[in-house]
Amino acid sequence: MKVLESQNALLSNYEVYQHTLDQRRNNKANNRRVPANAHKIMNEVSSPNPLTTLTSTLTIPQVMTYLTTKPSPLANQEEKQDYTPEAIPRLLERLREADLPGELTKGELLSILNLRPSSSALLSTAIEDMEERFSEDEQNRIVDVIAEVLGRSDPAEADGEGELDGEGEAEAVPSVENGC
Amino acid sequence: MFILTKFADLVQISPDDFRKQSHVAIEDNINAKYANKVVQKIGLCICLWDLLWASEGLIGNGDGMVNVNVEFRMVVFRPFKTEVIVARITDQSPQGIFLATDFFDDIFVPWTELPEGSEFEPAENLWVWKEDDQVMYFDNNEMVRFRVIAEEWHDQTPTKPGEAAALAAAAAGEAPAEQPVPANYKPPYQIIGSMNGPGLGCCLWWE
Repeated sequence: MKVLESQNALLSNYEVYQHTLDQRRNNKANNRRVPANAHKIMNEVSSPNPLTTLTSTLTIPQVMTYLTTKPSPLANQEEKQDYTPEAIPRLLERLREADLPGELTKGELLSILNLRPSSSALLSTAIEDMEERFSEDEQNRIVDVIAEVLGRSDPAEADGEGELDGEGEAEAVPSVENGC
Repeated sequence: MFILTKFADLVQISPDDFRKQSHVAIEDNINAKYANKVVQKIGLCICLWDLLWASEGLIGNGDGMVNVNVEFRMVVFRPFKTEVIVARITDQSPQGIFLATDFFDDIFVPWTELPEGSEFEPAENLWVWKEDDQVMYFDNNEMVRFRVIAEEWHDQTPTKPGEAAALAAAAAGEAPAEQPVPANYKPPYQIIGSMNGPGLGCCLWWE
């Protein structure tokens, strides 16, 4: 093994998601048999055999679970298709048009894509020293652009998860458990 | 949190894989060797991204293996410093909180990096954050956001028997400090995180 280039590119979660999905589709189309151990894990049939629970595609379904578990923005990707290959350049363009005093760095844009912050408090996790660099008005503008281009999680669901002691309690309990 | 890393390696295709198309056999071989493995200073390999180049297959003397030199790119889990990612609380101790994602388990948030006003409740074995009369709990299995502040690498190369005994003895001496991890186990790749800041901590708090 030789490492030729330790960091060839950065990937967003969406790209990893799409790559995994494409591969799964390819395998199905070519009627390719996934190794027995991986197949078992993919279908979540539990018959633990320490000899067959090795390596190979084992991580892929786990990564898929991680990427599609709330609060990941890809949780509803299958139904809502919020993320598309065109959405990424459009987000960059709209942020440029938003007429911000400073540019966002590559890492910050990547974090925005991966986290899809829905409020300025969450936006501050993606942008370094946000308070000093952008005014409140500008922060809100960024949040609006994100919601416009990448969509937002269902407000009904957000309520159910957010207010544990509010009226949404009945919904909240199962949704929290699902997230676990 | 994912990157692409370019590798070069020698792939050996065994004769029982000859029924596969060669690119499929190469892919399977690479995934079997790399997926779910940590490469030191690179990160946790997830799966093959693409095959860049492959040489002619050569059969050596003595066995039927086809040897192919390949260059390929792997998807690697390696969050950059200051990146914020989501994980789940798996365990807590007076030293801090242990987190895991579905595919990566070795994330630790030391108590110094919890929000100011956090206290450990020994009775319930969990951390609480007390602010303005509000008590918020870090429950196990809760999804949290944390910021990556450091990473630690521990090479897993086996040590010689003599050295291993000495190391084990040394580790046993400092065992109380790093419970509940077994005394001489160090994860190959550990991420140190922080939950001190706006937007960080349990996801529910910020909805």
